[in-house]
Amino acid sequence: MKSVLVLALMLLSPAAMAGGSGDPTWPCIQPKQPHLSIGQLWPGPPPDDAVIGLARRPDIAALAQVLEQRRLPVEEAEAQIAAFARGASAEELTALFVAVFDRIDAYRSRIMSGVARYAEKQMVLSDQIEARRAEMTRLSAAAEPDFDRIDAEEARLDWDTRIFTDRQAQLTYVCETPVILEQRAFALGRAIAAHLPATPTPAP
Amino acid sequence: MRLAALSLVLLAQPALANKVYVSNEKGNDITVLDSETLEVIATFPAGNRPRGITISPDGKELYVCASDDDTVRVFETETYRETHTLPSGPDPELFVLHPSGNPLYIANEDDNLVTIVDVQSHRMLAEVPVGVEPEGMAISPDGAFVVNTSETTNMAHFIDTASSQIVANVLVDQRPRYAQFTADGKLLFVTAEIGGTVAVIDVATKEVIHKIGFEIPGVLPEAIQPVGLKITQDGSRIFVALGPANRVAVIDGATFEVTDYLLVGQRVWQLAFTPDERLLFTTNGNSNDVSVIDVAAMEVVRSVPVGQQPWGIVVAPD
Repeated sequence: MKSVLVLALMLLSPAAMAGGSGDPTWPCIQPKQPHLSIGQLWPGPPPDDAVIGLARRPDIAALAQVLEQRRLPVEEAEAQIAAFARGASAEELTALFVAVFDRIDAYRSRIMSGVARYAEKQMVLSDQIEARRAEMTRLSAAAEPDFDRIDAEEARLDWDTRIFTDRQAQLTYVCETPVILEQRAFALGRAIAAHLPATPTPAP
Repeated sequence: MRLAALSLVLLAQPALANKVYVSNEKGNDITVLDSETLEVIATFPAGNRPRGITISPDGKELYVCASDDDTVRVFETETYRETHTLPSGPDPELFVLHPSGNPLYIANEDDNLVTIVDVQSHRMLAEVPVGVEPEGMAISPDGAFVVNTSETTNMAHFIDTASSQIVANVLVDQRPRYAQFTADGKLLFVTAEIGGTVAVIDVATKEVIHKIGFEIPGVLPEAIQPVGLKITQDGSRIFVALGPANRVAVIDGATFEVTDYLLVGQRVWQLAFTPDERLLFTTNGNSNDVSVIDVAAMEVVRSVPVGQQPWGIVVAPD
């Protein structure tokens, strides 16, 4: 029991709660980057309004929806992109990337808000654990301790601590998700850009 | 016809292949590429969290900062066998070898020291107290100065190699990460990861004479984080890895203007030329690959998958 309390205490320290950013609602080691930008993933110039409009064309939007799914292996996504690229213009290819980007970035942002809510819940829980510990100390210090109440409080404290530590252990995965989505957006961008007509290279 | 003859001559030239060594920070190993075929030819374990990597001038010994082992591991480049370790101080991240091949100057991020180690006797020669969180290391071509950059103090510290004393401190932008001298020893370039700039320092006066900024259409400014940097031998071009912007900036060495932003892989960290400067390699920490830039064409010609989270890179000398 004592070791669990010590562990909980360690976890409760603000330094353990916040990641490297110093932002208490961002518990990840990875730097918080709320949005991706197109230029990080796409070699060409930023898409203009015409291309952004083209990204909403039903066939392009539908393909983007398929490509976005993480269960679709990148190799299969590449094959679907290659099929689309036959006869597609540079504008259509760029539009496909824009459609994929918008979907992944929006999903990634939702995940990141989820991470913030998760961190907030952990902070509430850590306050509750602290309150329960204070209550146990108070009950134990009474002249005639009420052992039934102490046992009940201890059971609740055990549960809260367990939930807290389990959630904390899942953090690694939770924090990896935005990175995984960024990797997918980049891989898809690279696969689509591979079909762009080659830019003439200046003579050396 | 004459063109055909010319291309025949070019083809007939024997291609010199060099080994390219990549440290994989998360994979805990080194990937070896062939600079001609661009194929992975070997992978070998390198301790915990290998980052900084360099090679002896004769190409026989490979030095690797095993950051989480608090040591520098030394490997035989022929056999990839670990022969010994060097005392590095805690959390070694980057280091620089004296142009003669000895000693090795190591930045210790955790205890604010630069450790100087004799690579022959394997002994520590001196420790130089520097700013908070030392990181980048550079040595002047004549070996007179070692420069260390400190992440938190935001300074480039000039250390006199004869006396092991700091002789000058130059303030640069936030979180200086990497430093390199031009081959003529006249200028020092220092990247600032959070500041988003590259400071150009005049070595004679120890003053910042220019600051290079970056702007990429369609990339948020906070994603532009200059880290690794390399300068061509003639000083005409400077290449800067821009971290999560996934781009390498190309800078004109005469005007300090940015002429291009090449899209490479994700989280680009460090750069290395082949000895003939025909190719430039980049390590991409998030896409787990190495991008190959054709320097004459200014084009990314290939990405080669390597280990988990590639960080440092060095190309064997001819």
